Amino acid sequence: MTALAPTAPVDRPQPGLSDGVRNSYETELSKLMAQLTTRILLLVCVLGPFAFAAILKVQSGTPSDALFGFWVHSSGFAVSLVILGFAASWGFPIIAGVLAGDLFSSEDRHGTWKTILTRSCTREDVFAGKLLAVAALVVGLMLVLAASSLIAGIVLVGAHALVNLSGVLTSAGRMFALTVVSWLICLLPVLAYTSVAILFSVATRNGILGVLGPLLVALITQLLDLIGKGVIVHELLIGSAFDGWHGLFTSHPYFGQLIVGGVVSVLWIAACLSASWAIMRRRDFLSGVSGQGPSWTAPVKVVAISIAVVAALALGCSLGPTGATASRVSNSIGRVFNNATLLQQQLIGRRVPPNAHLYVRPECYRPGAQAAGPGDWSCYVYVFLPQANSVPYQLQQVDYDVSVQYNGCWKAQSPPAFVGNATMQDAAGRSVANPLFIVYGCFNIF
Amino acid sequence: MDAVRATGLVKRFGATTAVDGLDLVIAAGEVRGLLGPNGAGKTTLLRMLFGLIRPDQGAVELLGHRLDHLGGDVLEAVGGFVEEPCFYPYLSGRSNLKLLAKLDGGSAAAGQIDEVLTRVDLAARAGDRVSGYSTGMRQRLGLAAALLRHPRLLLLDEPTSGLDPAGTRAVAKLVRELAADGVAVLLSSHQIGELEKVCDSYTVVRHGRAVWDGTAAELDAQAPGSAYALFTSDDTHALDLAARIQGIRIQRAARGGLAVAARQAQMDELVVALGDARVLIRRLELVVSPLESMFFALTTEHDDVALDALEPQQLADTILAGA
Repeated sequence: MTALAPTAPVDRPQPGLSDGVRNSYETELSKLMAQLTTRILLLVCVLGPFAFAAILKVQSGTPSDALFGFWVHSSGFAVSLVILGFAASWGFPIIAGVLAGDLFSSEDRHGTWKTILTRSCTREDVFAGKLLAVAALVVGLMLVLAASSLIAGIVLVGAHALVNLSGVLTSAGRMFALTVVSWLICLLPVLAYTSVAILFSVATRNGILGVLGPLLVALITQLLDLIGKGVIVHELLIGSAFDGWHGLFTSHPYFGQLIVGGVVSVLWIAACLSASWAIMRRRDFLSGVSGQGPSWTAPVKVVAISIAVVAALALGCSLGPTGATASRVSNSIGRVFNNATLLQQQLIGRRVPPNAHLYVRPECYRPGAQAAGPGDWSCYVYVFLPQANSVPYQLQQVDYDVSVQYNGCWKAQSPPAFVGNATMQDAAGRSVANPLFIVYGCFNIF
Repeated sequence: MDAVRATGLVKRFGATTAVDGLDLVIAAGEVRGLLGPNGAGKTTLLRMLFGLIRPDQGAVELLGHRLDHLGGDVLEAVGGFVEEPCFYPYLSGRSNLKLLAKLDGGSAAAGQIDEVLTRVDLAARAGDRVSGYSTGMRQRLGLAAALLRHPRLLLLDEPTSGLDPAGTRAVAKLVRELAADGVAVLLSSHQIGELEKVCDSYTVVRHGRAVWDGTAAELDAQAPGSAYALFTSDDTHALDLAARIQGIRIQRAARGGLAVAARQAQMDELVVALGDARVLIRRLELVVSPLESMFFALTTEHDDVALDALEPQQLADTILAGA
């Protein structure tokens, strides 16, 4: 060591609360950006959609179980919306978990709490700085994924019009706007997942549980979607908040789920962050890398509480009104079938007057003990075709197997004998998707 | 204004009282040694001074400001580390310092960071990731991080742990330089020999209480005595001469030479007497220092051991075995 004369103190800005938060935010952002996992996530968000779109392009199959999945060869916006659907299920929980799940616990693992908390910033500064940094990064990655998915879809498939969830072909411009809005709508629930990851990280001081926390919540959401028919508990889950954009893609948009999803997301964020701060504020930072630091006591407690919460949610899944009722499913499928049939006729070159409609009578029922609720439904669509005979109408019956989700969205598929093959030739002789082969729709569950 | 004024500090962990009514005052420019056996409460005390844990009772003032356990501006002129310094292993030493400078309220100029890195002899490896640093290099980086904020109070926990002898000497020199510049230093260490070279005063802690607190001069006066190994040209004559000096205890050592237990003044008298009698002193070693004997006397679990009553060799053996 070289002994130099002590350096004279220099004037530095006095960090107030806002300065402290800003300094902490910039520090945390630098740390996050320096981590390999962040760079890998960024790479996946940029390249993933292109890889997905490229794979779709070279194969004839479609991810038809996903909303708009049947249309991925027809419109680039469908590609973006399918990616949004997948991301809502697993991608966003993974991003939130990887970025935020180890945000606090990594300080325990590296023993660096004492390093940063003995500088000129308060615990509030450090806490707020970490929150802002990870929120900025999560939002940034989400926007990158949104942009990448849109660009990949437009470049590799094309910015074409897309059939909406009422069976109506919608212009590319409107679809672009709706797709962008849909991604933005998902920002709040993504931040809610981020808050869950933060709570797990703070409460357990365990990076593994922090990363897995949001995935666990996402998994529980999907499992709970399979049981019970009430809307109350389902709508309280973060996963449900990602359904808010569905209503925008119908010809008569509805906003109930969008509003509820937003409120629920805000409640999750407030609850998780309040609990995290309460833990952080009263915590004694006892040891560094070695010694008594993080133990398995906290994780065990968190797991026990989580199991109790999940059990309570499972028991409450049947609370409240049922979203999927026979009348709602029937009305929705009748409306979509009507529009999709007219679209099919247009595509094959027949003239369809404005405001034309078919005489359709749909009858849907849910096999099994429960007459309502999500699950597999059967629908008979009776179509009364006008004819110039003594009998004014020719009755044609189309059968659909309908898979209805608790959130009011459904997918219907009919045997080709009724509606034709997956692809058909349009008036110009091009091979296009048959809008009646697989039909998507959504209805308001409130 | 005192650099540290801690009064009535109490910290309990369940049924264990780690710190039990401890008072501590350190003046500006003072280098205070904090001693105590393992589990005495030294680290808990340092964590309370850093605001990392909340005292159950008592209060801490640093540089005239009341310390809130949530940290903040009060710590602005306080540097140091508790236990081993920890950094982000995936960043370089220089990047770690940049981050810490940012947390301190602004980005330090590259020159400032280079200066402290040079000062702790780490400039050549500053671009390497901390994950590849040895314990000693982390210790140096910890010192650099402390110096980066131009502290007026340094709280250092075993700062020479993992350092080579040259590094240890350099830390001692650095501490003295800082103290000369008015920086107060609290130095917690098990290496009593290192503390003796730099400290102006000591606080000895046992079972969470300060069992002794005073200056180096007071300690010399109150210490049970030191133990020396003395090699002369005529041990028989030296034994006779020593027997005439009151309070000195001397005996032949098992490994040759003489074992002497005496206070500094008595030892000075013996050395003069040996010179007057033309008995050559071939070697004189301090085996147990006053601080060591004091530390042992205050912190030994065997309260029945009266150091004053021990024969010189027993004194040395007992203390060295205890250490």
